[in-house]
Amino acid sequence: MRKEVPNALLIPEIAKMLEEGHTVTLGLKGFSMRPFLEDGRDTVLLTRPDHVRKGDTVLAEITPGQYVLHRIIRIKRQEVVLRGDGNIGTERCTLHDIKGFAQGFYRKGRNRPDRTNGLKWKLYSNIWCTLFPVRRYLLAVYRRLWIPLFGPL
Amino acid sequence: MHTKKGFKLRDVCGESIIIAEGKENIDFNNIISMNETSAYLWKAVEGKEFSSDDLARLLTDHYEVDLETASRDASEVARKWLKAGITEE
Repeated sequence: MRKEVPNALLIPEIAKMLEEGHTVTLGLKGFSMRPFLEDGRDTVLLTRPDHVRKGDTVLAEITPGQYVLHRIIRIKRQEVVLRGDGNIGTERCTLHDIKGFAQGFYRKGRNRPDRTNGLKWKLYSNIWCTLFPVRRYLLAVYRRLWIPLFGPL
Repeated sequence: MHTKKGFKLRDVCGESIIIAEGKENIDFNNIISMNETSAYLWKAVEGKEFSSDDLARLLTDHYEVDLETASRDASEVARKWLKAGITEE
């Protein structure tokens, strides 16, 4: 039976475990990292966020108790700007608010992760981020046409 | 029977949960929540060889309960743990 615990309670515990040097696998919720990741289906492999860079997908606390797992699109000194792959809007936080780094994703129930330093992810990231100017339309087509016809990617 | 290696009892968000803990990876997709009694029993037998009778004795030691009821409950707990895959014979 799947149990859901509010992020505000769960993530600090996970952050502690990551600090201790463990990796953590955790189920994903929401649509903000479409098209690659899907609500309720995929799992993220988190590690301690040692040296994060632009392009990395990280677990960040954007307001007290509110967490997202989004891509870094800009870092300037301590300030970080995030944007989910399935979003148009951005969030801001500081480097200190970053609690975890996504090392890979277990997609579609597979037991081998797609690593974020791997070719598949890098290619996808490159293409998807380049398409940002038309992201709004691509997401609309994906949501309204592709998914009803073919299911999620 | 004994508790399986790699299953640790942790306190997360005020609840006692068993997490499958590889040497490095903690898998939140594979966790079992324990009530107070279950957690007490687990802590007492973790890492040791034990029987359903041992669990019954732990229950009568800690709670106001007669041995017969305790034995029944103990077998139930042992069965559940085995079924959940956190202990093995």
